[in-house]
Parts: sequence; structure tokens; C-alpha cells
Amino acid sequence: MAQENGAHDSQLLKGVLSLALLRLLAERESYGYELVTRLHELGLTEVQDGSVYPALGRLERDAHVTSRLVASSSGAARKYYRLSAAGYAALEHIELAWQSLVRALAPILSTPVPAKPKEALP
Amino acid sequence: MNQGALTKKDRARIEIAVRTVDWHLDGRVPRARRRQILNELRSNLIEAAEQVGSQQAVRQLGDLKALANSYLELYRGRFDIRAGSFWAFITYMAIQVLGLALFIAFRAGVAAGGAHGASYSFEFWPGFGPFAGTVSASGNTFEVLIGSPAHILFVLVAFMIGSSYRTVFARRRT
Repeated sequence: MAQENGAHDSQLLKGVLSLALLRLLAERESYGYELVTRLHELGLTEVQDGSVYPALGRLERDAHVTSRLVASSSGAARKYYRLSAAGYAALEHIELAWQSLVRALAPILSTPVPAKPKEALP
Repeated sequence: MNQGALTKKDRARIEIAVRTVDWHLDGRVPRARRRQILNELRSNLIEAAEQVGSQQAVRQLGDLKALANSYLELYRGRFDIRAGSFWAFITYMAIQVLGLALFIAFRAGVAAGGAHGASYSFEFWPGFGPFAGTVSASGNTFEVLIGSPAHILFVLVAFMIGSSYRTVFARRRT
């Protein structure tokens, strides 16, 4: 949900980071920093590298992704992640949950906000 | 912006960041897992530094302690060796402080008793410790116990409890 200045709520982002990572990995196998740049290219520039790498570890621990090391020109081997069968199932489940949440919120968000009372609480 | 090859300064900056995270994980995450985490982190940092510069690459990681804590949530081992060592040290120091206090009290007692020309000793649980001491009547020479079977036992118990209580509490919470 973009705010007026284009920034995103960090708590919201944290909640949907797994979904975003699973979705990106469903498109193609990828490594940590590449996933960060892909998220940034999609406009999620507030996502920090430091939140993506542990999130990948969590997905791997939950067996939603598998990983392999690939030698790179920079010296250190890259760790590529790809979705597992459980990962595809999890992606489908989370996507459905997300769509259900959006549908549930839509009527609330589509109604105009009532005029603010004069003596509104701060 | 492609910054290209990294300088020694860039590599040092990356290594400092990696070592900072490592410092928080040391003794808490199993060694093999820790090595995997650090290798991946280093690889990603090098990749990022080649694109945006090492300073920005490290900055993009955010708070390194928070990053380490995220890894700890995921991979914390059964024993926290660092916490165990800390509590073992605290226990040893507590025994020594208590022993010193006992010794000072004993020496004051010897002096108050008007003892002459001999050395006086006290010992709790002979041969086991942890408290024992000898003081001359003049108070010029003294000995206190710095190690005993009791010291070892207390320190080991403190280490075991200190290194595993978090795991026990975590298991209770779930």
C-alpha cells in the first residue's frame, strides 16, 4: 500500500515479504542480492537487504525453497534459491489468503472517510 | 551504477560487517551453520558492493545486530556457549568475593582474639572447598582458595544452566 510520498509501511512489508519472495522465486531461481534488486525494481525500495537474507533462511528452514551454491566471478559462491513443491503449495495458499484479505478490506477502504469531527481525538 | 572491482578498503569494510554479525552468532549458532550464513552474507555483500559501493552495500543491510538477531531466531543452537561462559565467570567471581569476605571476617576475628605468633586456618568442607584460608596472627601473610572441586562443580552447574536455560524456556513457551 503506497503512502502519499510513495513509501511503504515497514510492518506491512515485513508481513508480505515471504509472499513477494516466493512469487519472485516462482518466476526464476535467484540469489539473495538479486532478489533484493528485483524487489527494488518493483518499487519496494524500503526493503533492506538485512531483512531479505534471514527471510530466505526462514523459507529454506520451512522447506519452501531449496538452495545450491554456484561459483561466481566475484569470488564467493552465490547461493541460489528455487521453489520446492512445498513452496509452490505455500505460495498458492498465501496468495489465496492475501486475495481474501484484500477482498475483505475492499468494501471498508472503498467507502469515503467520514468528515473528521471538530473535536477529534489527537 | 557499476563500481567494478573492489579495493582492499572495500573488502575490509565488508569483512568488518561480516565479522560483526559473526561476533553476535559466535557460540550461539552451530559452527557449520554459522559458516554458511557468513559465506552467503559475504557473497551478497561483495555482489552489492560491486553495484553500489561497499559503504552503501553495508548500509543497505540495516542494523547488523538486528540482522544477527534474525539469524539467531532461526538457527540458535541448543546451547548458548557464550551465555554459559558468562554465568560460569560470574559464579566463580561470586564465590571468590564471598570467600574474600569470609577471609576478612576470619582475619578480623583472629586479630580481635589477640592471637599471638601462629597461623590460623579455616576450611569449609575439608578437601572440597570452596572456602578455606590461612592467616598469620600478625595478618601479614594469608592464603585463600582459588580453586577446588567445589569451584569446578559450581562453575560447571552455572555453565550448564546459563547455556541452556533459554532453550528450556523457549520449549516451555511453545
